[in-house]
Amino acid sequence: MPMAPLPQFSSSVKLKYVKLGYQYLVNNFLSLLLLPVMAAVSLELVHRGPGEMVELWESLRVDLIHVMCYLFAIVFVSTVYFMSRPRPVYLVDYACFKPPATCRVPFSTFMEHARLIYPNEKSVRFQMRILERSGLGEETCLPPANHYLPPKPTMEASRDEAQLVIFSAIDDLVRKTGLKPKDIDILIVNCSLFSPTPSLSAMIINKYKLRSNIRSFNLSGMGCSAGLISIDLARDLLQAHPSSKALVISTEIITPNFYPGNERAMLLPNCLFRMGAAAILLSNRRRDARRAKYRLVHVLRTHKGAEDRAYRCVYQEEDSEGNSGINLSKDLMSIAGDALKSNITTLGPLVLPMSEQLLFFLTLVGRKVINPKWKPYIPDFKQAFEHFCIHAGGRAVIDELQKNLDLSAEHVEASRMTLHRFGNTSSSSLWYELNYIESKGRMRRGDRLWQIAFGSGFKCNSAVWKCMRTVKTPVDGPWANCIHRYPVHIPEVVKL
Amino acid sequence: MSSDQAAVTGHRFSSVVPGDVTGSAVVHELGGMDLIMKLHYLRAVYYFAPSEVVDGLAITDLKKPMFPWLNVYYPLAGRIRRAAEGGRPFIKCNDSGLRIVEASCSRTMDEWLHVEEGGESRWRSLVPDKVLGPELYFSPLVYIQFTRFKHGGMAIGYSWAHVLGDPESATNSINLWGELLSGNPQTVIAQKNEENTEEPVIAPQGPAPALVPAPAPIKQVEIAEDVWLPPTHRKMATHCFRITETELQKLHGEQVPPFETISALFWRCLARIRSRREPELATICRSGTPAKNNEILHNKFRTSTIKLDSSAASVELLGLATKILKQDMDEALVDRDNSTGEQDFLLYGANLTFVDMGGIDLYGLELKGQRPVRVDYSVDGVGEEGAILVLQAPQRTDLSVMVILPEDEIPSLCRVLSSDFGIA
Repeated sequence: MPMAPLPQFSSSVKLKYVKLGYQYLVNNFLSLLLLPVMAAVSLELVHRGPGEMVELWESLRVDLIHVMCYLFAIVFVSTVYFMSRPRPVYLVDYACFKPPATCRVPFSTFMEHARLIYPNEKSVRFQMRILERSGLGEETCLPPANHYLPPKPTMEASRDEAQLVIFSAIDDLVRKTGLKPKDIDILIVNCSLFSPTPSLSAMIINKYKLRSNIRSFNLSGMGCSAGLISIDLARDLLQAHPSSKALVISTEIITPNFYPGNERAMLLPNCLFRMGAAAILLSNRRRDARRAKYRLVHVLRTHKGAEDRAYRCVYQEEDSEGNSGINLSKDLMSIAGDALKSNITTLGPLVLPMSEQLLFFLTLVGRKVINPKWKPYIPDFKQAFEHFCIHAGGRAVIDELQKNLDLSAEHVEASRMTLHRFGNTSSSSLWYELNYIESKGRMRRGDRLWQIAFGSGFKCNSAVWKCMRTVKTPVDGPWANCIHRYPVHIPEVVKL
Repeated sequence: MSSDQAAVTGHRFSSVVPGDVTGSAVVHELGGMDLIMKLHYLRAVYYFAPSEVVDGLAITDLKKPMFPWLNVYYPLAGRIRRAAEGGRPFIKCNDSGLRIVEASCSRTMDEWLHVEEGGESRWRSLVPDKVLGPELYFSPLVYIQFTRFKHGGMAIGYSWAHVLGDPESATNSINLWGELLSGNPQTVIAQKNEENTEEPVIAPQGPAPALVPAPAPIKQVEIAEDVWLPPTHRKMATHCFRITETELQKLHGEQVPPFETISALFWRCLARIRSRREPELATICRSGTPAKNNEILHNKFRTSTIKLDSSAASVELLGLATKILKQDMDEALVDRDNSTGEQDFLLYGANLTFVDMGGIDLYGLELKGQRPVRVDYSVDGVGEEGAILVLQAPQRTDLSVMVILPEDEIPSLCRVLSSDFGIA
């Protein structure tokens, strides 16, 4: 029976059961194989009888020295095995910044300010169209400096915003986990567009009086996917240093990046980017395993920067009038699709069950050997993961990924609702989405989670987590007082 | 005047919105009386003396209570819309927000308040003088300006489009903000929520009712189109008089209450000044009875127009005051839905108007225990006949009188009052 046409017939009920049976068979192949083997062995034992077993044992002429040597060999091999395994990385807990109502920007205020700031009416109308279709809600927040007409992005205002969002998130995390600042061994901060001297990590060390031998890193310029890059860096450092705790801060500071010009491709970030920050506590200590929420299984990074098209896709530059802004190219979605394909090609063998891998492999072989016209088989990632956190970069990104990965509305609900309530908070959006899933009471022990982030470069990064304990509601976090209103229906176009 | 304007600099504009989402279909309907008042604007300036408390309030402290405040007073943050092309206006409560202005003054507050020379309308630099329009759909209804003086002290300028409500509503609203800032939020908000039983409704779509001739206190003017200001041919200016207790007693003794006495006094003086066109008609305006359904935003007046057979100058002061006192007041000028907005009217200044604002708690704006040392209150969009506002003064026993008259009448009025009555 040919394998390729299977996905087309998946609506048929009979084939659904065939598919289920196939999956069960292949995924549990070894256990199923074990049954007849065990049956044969026990039959043989019963056949031979106990007396013969004792005779067999005596004939081996085992004495104390031999036993000791065998034991020693076993202990040695197991020690080497356990020591060479990578240290597990646990996510003890995380906290997201909850923007105060004093920073709220309703649609009407945004549009009125746009009319007053931009003399060019076309720019105003363009921003209105973007906002209508953006998928954002009326509760997203901009920093205080952006509420002025016109916004005055001074360095002091940027630092104020950084202190507000970062310290708020860290204070929340300290409250939830009982973390003592002196216990932090590794500090990683990622913030793409604001990079003062001294760095934001120095700002945190100064405020919380962290240790003088702390290993601190400040990643800037790495775009919206930098959150997972920080996690990757933290994981590597936690492999190198035993019994350590790492604090990762993911944020994006909006104040310095207001674009006052008229270039359309550069006006998009004004409409979509909003305030946000997340603080994550990672640990490789065994005793933290008991209270940790998640364990990091994989982090996978894919960089398409070698291609010029991907490199120039999200590009910060000055327009013809000298205003600095971030230029988003029209190819963004197709480049994102390519990057995603590369990423999941590498991720697939690591996470997919045997049944999907076998199908993919057979289709691949079939396309090469038998008939190149066969459609490539897109593995069903829904069998590998229970939850998906897709970076809320914009409505188009979520739509595209939902289509590519064949996800249901419930799988992408966390991403859509985060975009609605908080806007595009860049690298921290994955954590707001995770908080949504937890607040809805959907996160159970043993669930697997996939976080996907895209960013300038062009990069596509994935992280896979496994839930270690069921998260009980209500969850303390940015969704606490509004989760009961969600999910909301987000219309295609909001009437402004 | 221009040197006063030049002293106030460094204007920074921002917006403040309600803390909670008001909703996408919430509308504040404008009644007939609201639409009659649409060409008027209330301007108030509250002066706070230098003190550690007031000077220690940063702009974030001033803005923070506005968010829960606007949850209660959400129509203030809305914008005017029309039902259809040229149709009846209403307020769409879309959370657009208030406009906040921050400025600083290069003079000290003492210099500002006590220098006599120069224009008396000095308060104008401390409150935004914007009106609704030309972009009606994007014009804020309320502006607040915070001006810091050299060496301490602050002036809070409150600009309020009269279409939202009368001076009582305006004063109650800003007093609530003061209470929230001073930090007793829970009880106040709960109380206000109970009071605010106005149900948000969708604007009525019925056919336009028949046009009725305007009753006496109001005068019809040409349609204002997109800029809601009356057509003026003469420039209006203001002047503030302080009438002390002793002066009041000299005038009337105990027989007639202060408001009527003062109204009679100014009417006679103006009759003498305006020898060519004497004011035979005068409108008396008092606040209306408390609303039955406890709307927090309302335009409620009791008005009546007095017609004199002879010149006011010839009538004796006490007699005129008694006549004013005994005048019957009309509660409702127009039925609630009578006006469609197809006609535009003026109330203040249609005839010489006397407004009794003595009961309005201007000095009730309390910021962490600090009350204003002075409040200037005026109306923009007043007609040419002029308006006289009788207000509370910093001293409870005194009264302030703010006159809004054509520019050229003010010096003569000052001369008459000081020479005949010793009032400055």
